[in-house]
Amino acid sequence: MTSDTLVLAAVLTFSALSAAAAILLRDVLNAIVAFAAFSFGIAAAWVLLAAPDVALTEAAVGAGITTVFFLVTIAKTVRPGGDRLSERIEWRSVAVVAILVGLLLTTVGSLPAVGAADAPVATSPVTDYYLDNAYSETGVKNAVTAVLAAYRGFDTFGEATVVIAAGVAVLLVLRQEAYV
Amino acid sequence: MIDLLVTHYNYLAVVVLVGIGLYGITGSPNLVKKIIGLNVFQVGIFLFFVTSGYVEGAAPPLLGRSPGPYASPLPHVLILTAIVVGVSLTAVALALVVRIYEAYGTLDEDAIEEVRTRD
Repeated sequence: MTSDTLVLAAVLTFSALSAAAAILLRDVLNAIVAFAAFSFGIAAAWVLLAAPDVALTEAAVGAGITTVFFLVTIAKTVRPGGDRLSERIEWRSVAVVAILVGLLLTTVGSLPAVGAADAPVATSPVTDYYLDNAYSETGVKNAVTAVLAAYRGFDTFGEATVVIAAGVAVLLVLRQEAYV
Repeated sequence: MIDLLVTHYNYLAVVVLVGIGLYGITGSPNLVKKIIGLNVFQVGIFLFFVTSGYVEGAAPPLLGRSPGPYASPLPHVLILTAIVVGVSLTAVALALVVRIYEAYGTLDEDAIEEVRTRD
């Protein structure tokens, strides 16, 4: 186990613990703070996994905008009070989660090792094509930008459509028809 | 088993995050907490994709900066799109939560159920 792997393992453990705290804390404000910590931990994990573009988006959108949305929501609604720090455990949900986790764990052994050079995605002709031709065909050195804006531009167009639709839906649901 | 923990750490983290997320969706009585659970579930799946494109010692896919190898750019692109779509989904869900609170005066699942059966 190299030092990089240890750092990654530590970051992922931190993220998982914050996620558990976000779910188990009773006060929703506490849960939102724990969720923001979770998002920052995951953004750090993306950097360690050589995905800086995803890390920037996660830090700005996941930890930033999503947290603001949650805070605005609890400002407009309620926070459950009471003196208990954590939620009661819901055993029926634990049973459902145990079934799913058990099923998924049986598949983990069949996956390639993390970072293996002969993993299917790393050796895929699609990956090689993008890495070899992205600069000569699009003139963009960042292969992620090249794929996002050029090769899979229609995906990005679909994404923009979803964002517009969501904006309209939020205004309609909140009865702000004057802006639509 | 210890071998698996060392070589497949990320995939085990995926399973843990998906489990925590599912518990949040099904087990939390509060509607806002359910949406937090949904987000955790999503991030678990993002981690699966980004891990699949990672190669030990790989550079980020910024061409010409290093001799390589590079991480595969395709999973990164898919996850960038998925993060933005996830935020849109969260925004719509939270707007619905605000409207539910206006209509019922509570965000507790059981209390809403009670009001609905009484009416």
